[in-house]
Amino acid sequence: MPLNTDPLWYKDAIIYQVHVRTFYDSNADGIGDFPGLEQKLDYLQELGVNAIWLMPFFPSPLRDDGYDISDYHSVHPSYGTLEDFRKVLHAAHERGIRVIIEMVLNHTSDQHPWFKEARGSRGNPRRDWYVWSDTDNRYKGTRIIFLDTEKSNWAWDPESQSFYWHRFFSHQPDLNYDNPAVREQMWDVMRFWLDMGVDAFRLDAVPYLVEREGTNCENLPETHGILKDLRHRLDEQFNCRMLLAEANQWPADLRPYFGDGDEFHMAFHFPLMPRMFMGLKLEDRKPITEILQQTPEIPPSCQWSLFLRNHDELTLEMVTDMERDYMYDMYAASKTMRLNLGIRRRLAPLLNNDRRRIELMNGMLMSLPGTPIIYYGDEIGMGDNILLGDRNGVRTPMQWTGGWNAGFSVSDPTHLYAPLIQDPVYGYPAVNVLSQRESEHSLLHWMQRIIKVRKSNVVFGRGSIEFLYPANHRILAYLRWLGRETVLVVNNLSGTAQAVELDLRRHKGNILIEMFGDNIFPRVGDLPYLLTLGPYQFYWFRLRRV
Amino acid sequence: MSRASHAELKLEDETFLTDDFLRQLINVGEVDILVGLPTHNNAKTVGSVVDAIRIGILRSFPRERAVIINADGGSRDGTPGLITGMSIYDARPASNLHALRTLHSISTTYSNGTSGGGALRTILAAAELLRAKACIVMSPESAKTQPEWISNLAAPIYREGFDLVAPTYRRHKFDGLLMTNLLYPMIRALYGLRLREPYMPEFGFSSRIGSQFLGGNGWSDRNGTGTELRFTLAAIKGGSRICQAFLGEKDHTERRAADLVPALRQTVGPLFSAMEADFPVWSTVTGSNSIPTIGSDHELMLDPIRVNRKRLREMFATGVAELESVFHLILSSSTLAELQRLARLDDEAFHYPAELWVKTIYEFAAAYQKSVINRDHIVQALAPLFRGRAVTFLIENRSASASEVEVNIEALCVEFERLKPYLMQMWKSRE
Repeated sequence: MPLNTDPLWYKDAIIYQVHVRTFYDSNADGIGDFPGLEQKLDYLQELGVNAIWLMPFFPSPLRDDGYDISDYHSVHPSYGTLEDFRKVLHAAHERGIRVIIEMVLNHTSDQHPWFKEARGSRGNPRRDWYVWSDTDNRYKGTRIIFLDTEKSNWAWDPESQSFYWHRFFSHQPDLNYDNPAVREQMWDVMRFWLDMGVDAFRLDAVPYLVEREGTNCENLPETHGILKDLRHRLDEQFNCRMLLAEANQWPADLRPYFGDGDEFHMAFHFPLMPRMFMGLKLEDRKPITEILQQTPEIPPSCQWSLFLRNHDELTLEMVTDMERDYMYDMYAASKTMRLNLGIRRRLAPLLNNDRRRIELMNGMLMSLPGTPIIYYGDEIGMGDNILLGDRNGVRTPMQWTGGWNAGFSVSDPTHLYAPLIQDPVYGYPAVNVLSQRESEHSLLHWMQRIIKVRKSNVVFGRGSIEFLYPANHRILAYLRWLGRETVLVVNNLSGTAQAVELDLRRHKGNILIEMFGDNIFPRVGDLPYLLTLGPYQFYWFRLRRV
Repeated sequence: MSRASHAELKLEDETFLTDDFLRQLINVGEVDILVGLPTHNNAKTVGSVVDAIRIGILRSFPRERAVIINADGGSRDGTPGLITGMSIYDARPASNLHALRTLHSISTTYSNGTSGGGALRTILAAAELLRAKACIVMSPESAKTQPEWISNLAAPIYREGFDLVAPTYRRHKFDGLLMTNLLYPMIRALYGLRLREPYMPEFGFSSRIGSQFLGGNGWSDRNGTGTELRFTLAAIKGGSRICQAFLGEKDHTERRAADLVPALRQTVGPLFSAMEADFPVWSTVTGSNSIPTIGSDHELMLDPIRVNRKRLREMFATGVAELESVFHLILSSSTLAELQRLARLDDEAFHYPAELWVKTIYEFAAAYQKSVINRDHIVQALAPLFRGRAVTFLIENRSASASEVEVNIEALCVEFERLKPYLMQMWKSRE
């Protein structure tokens, strides 16, 4: 299945997020690797995804799961070789699956040779590749992101007797983007991978590239200038490539990252995700519709990226204090589940392993405007291990079978990079790909089905949205339309059966065709269209005039 | 009654909620907090009341599912529209209030005129259908309604398991004379509970007692007035967990002379009526107990206000003379003789003592039970006598401090309790 040549391919994509370390171990060392990933590409094709997003796989001291890169041009030896990566890239493309890789522009590891040189002496030519200061009083208006571990954005370097700037962990010094050599170097890095055939970059932590006194050092015009320049070079030299922004910001602050269609192709919609969980718990669509009302229009070539869970904590930075307290109380009763300003849990445990709620949330993920991202393992309802530190509890080995090491590795279990989930509910004997393949009604089969239905209609990826606001606030209903094609989505956010009357008069004369079973529902007339929905049920209807 | 008319009545009874209102209730769904707002042409004040309700819900119950239910008696001044316009929902995000949830504010018109019975019945029915955990009823007239009132009335129900929350207010010492001189002391003596405001403009209740009252047989037109008091008495009789919550300053409402008889019908009538059915309950009660009170027990304001005592006394004297034949049927000869003596006194000498007042009331209650004349006439006949008692209260407390007023009210309550055997005696002799 060759890749299509549509430059807007990302609008129709279903992205699967995976860390190569977690997926499949081919050489019995207890760590997932590229040859292992290659072996599992058929599984991803079978699931229906058409893009994979690989988390950082570069050489790294792995003090932040690979987001502390010490070499941008290679592959961490634990995961294989550059050649192994090339093979995965080729094999994925053969299956019609595009490959998105991480690119951490903002900072390096403190073990990167650039930083080692920079701290070596104040006169070193690389010195100015990082942000140094004799005092830790600069940029005081800048928030600390990792509140639980960092007390300041400045760290003292005893070697060069000065402070260096870091927005994340202190072992991740920020690059100095005011230095043209840094900008040139990072484009070289990107071009290295683009030349190899990589389809897209997920650019990490982009709001923080530039620092300016008297600002909060986020989303600065100079940062946008740098990103626009990268995009310009990308468009000039490559076809059908994509840049995805990781900018955990409010929608209005995110909007500039799309520019006039000349900066990022895609950006994560961070504020939507917690509000989907909030709406579900409140049994009220208000948080969801309100954040989407506040979401500005984006250029036609751009796209939001939607997700339910990912490798990080369920971030609660983009909610109010009241909403955060509510989310903590509802979804992270135990303090050990909380990290920074978020909740470090997977989808299934967050939803109490309630299949109906898992399906509803995925239904919304697949039908709201944007490109959905599925976090590895969530398609089978994997659990987490909150006893593991940091965010490692949601980064445990993929559960392929109920057998030895969950089918992830044939190594000695003590050699696994992380312990398997073993609890009675989410443990690999109960939750694994093999058993779900055998069960017709498994979550895995259901996910395959919904992905197929989503891919069957272009309105989900490219269409506009119009909310219907029925008087029953437990019902989230919207129309997705593109040209003459219209789809009606109706979600019951409550745990009880609901009746709802929808004003569909503008579509009078259409019949509704339920998209999962292709069954016909009554024709739309002058009266409000009455539907009843079971607990957490949702419908996708195609509107068709016959 | 013919079979056909009985069927019509039954049908009407079963469908007193309109289809449109039911549709609105379906959209609201199950709630934790229900705020009922009975109205009739309250456009001048209801806006600030709903605003306070809304803020109160958002502040005190931000996570709870809440609804405001307006039961309107057919307003022609746009009252319902003012209330429904205060909904908080996503289709109209202009509100500057930050709310986690949708807050529905819905309205319906109840059918049996402007009496409170239809309104309360509608609110109780809505509470039952929505399975509300805590319900409160708010007055649409209180311009001084504060957001805290919502929490004060609902929290004891929602969080502490009380069944009924009665309000206490900061009132002027001469406000609510019917309450201080009759309802409070008499209900206290009868049922043994020191409930300061048994006739409640605002109150909170649990779904349990709401459903019990809704399912009772008290909804005929005959019982249309005084539903709120009957609700209180039913809660007391049912052994419900009752507390009081201090709300704050209550508006002083200027009353016209003509307002007294309707007020008596809404309060004294239901009280006398309930005494008949509740005899097994109140006849065994001696003394009284305080009830849990959240916040201040009661507060009085002392600023001077003008009251035409002379006119009140004249109305007393006129009433005693004109209703002599009626009083012969209601009162004992000694009580009537004493009242006639009082009626001849001038302003300076006039004094309607507590003992005589209590005996008067008890004799009225016994006469009501016996139906010596039309019961409504008995209640109406009390009006001039109450005015006389009011004159004495005004004089006694003319320059009294708040604590002195309290002492006087307490003395009257004690008198009601002390003379309860007299009530029993009158009650039984009438039998």
